[in-house]
Amino acid sequence: MIYDLIIIGAGPAGISAAIYSARQKLNFLIISKDVGGQVAKKAVDIGNYPGFAKISGPDLAKVFEEQLKENEIEIALDEVLKIEKKENKFFISTKSGNTYETLALIIATGSDPRPLEVEGEKEFIGKGVSYCALCDGPVFKNKTVAVIGGGNSGFETASFLSNYVSKIYILESSDKVIADKENQDIVLKLGKAEVTTNAKVLNIKGDNFVKSLTYKDTKSSQEKKLDVSGVFIEIGYLPATAFVKNLVDFSDRDEIITDLETYVTKTPGIFAAGDCNKGKYKQIIAAAGEGAKAALSAYDYILKTKP
Amino acid sequence: MVKIYTTPTCVYCKTLIEYLKKHSVDFEVIDVSKDEKQLEVMIKDSGQMGVPVVDIDGEIIVGFDKEKIDKLLKIN
Repeated sequence: MIYDLIIIGAGPAGISAAIYSARQKLNFLIISKDVGGQVAKKAVDIGNYPGFAKISGPDLAKVFEEQLKENEIEIALDEVLKIEKKENKFFISTKSGNTYETLALIIATGSDPRPLEVEGEKEFIGKGVSYCALCDGPVFKNKTVAVIGGGNSGFETASFLSNYVSKIYILESSDKVIADKENQDIVLKLGKAEVTTNAKVLNIKGDNFVKSLTYKDTKSSQEKKLDVSGVFIEIGYLPATAFVKNLVDFSDRDEIITDLETYVTKTPGIFAAGDCNKGKYKQIIAAAGEGAKAALSAYDYILKTKP
Repeated sequence: MVKIYTTPTCVYCKTLIEYLKKHSVDFEVIDVSKDEKQLEVMIKDSGQMGVPVVDIDGEIIVGFDKEKIDKLLKIN
């Protein structure tokens, strides 16, 4: 069977694209490794998505998922490894060994946490190093942890972790924290965090589990060791776009370059919406909006090319 | 016997639970944020501190590893 459209990813962009595609009665499929994307992993409440004065990330993801069910949209829980183009069709191979054929594609894979790239980081993933406080935070009950990154994500993570851990070191590599004042105040009020700027992490050490972290104070050039059981890395995101590298162009941040009206990439038939594209504003509502626009322009493309 | 170690806020745990329900697998859910003894068991058995962890008749799987879970539970 040849699909009209395959949507890769089920965050706000992918879900919104799916809802529009269902309404256009396209023969389509969503392939995604999870549902809700980054929204479902967000550590604090969301207050800037219309329709909800305040909603938690997992709850918003659940509402998204319910709307998919309402439209009888199924998700293939799988991971795309490769996309090949032959004539005007695309062949998608997945981790579980399936191959799908489609006329058009919307890439809405969002982004993954950006790694710190220091000694010990990879080795201790799951053994104290985490990129998802919302998932793993409760496991660190009454422990001392470090949060790397003094942006909003770092402070939101610290505020969530305050529910569980006994002490938090927030380490920021530049000379000032860039989180919103509001986020900083929340964390300050919770009283568990100590913020250090000019702190460049050098390594993470331990035995079976993380035991300590060493950073360099870039002002004094002194190295300091912190005894921590957990290291939560919140230094931004990397677009999850490696599988499509031969068919699209990337920005210097590995974001997919698209037309800003139709969201088509340099390959006709491949569209990219949400955080994985070069769009400047990485917001839930922006991703959903792009998903809708990408779906509508994919629909136009399919009408023109369908045999 | 299938046991799942979870936390209330873990998204992959939810995906996993939905998945097992869809395939009519019976399982027990353990919330390690509430049960410290079980948390120790999970860390000892899995050698790591992330959730979800699935225990299928003593075989430990870390994360929602669909491939391994399918194989052990004979889900096609």
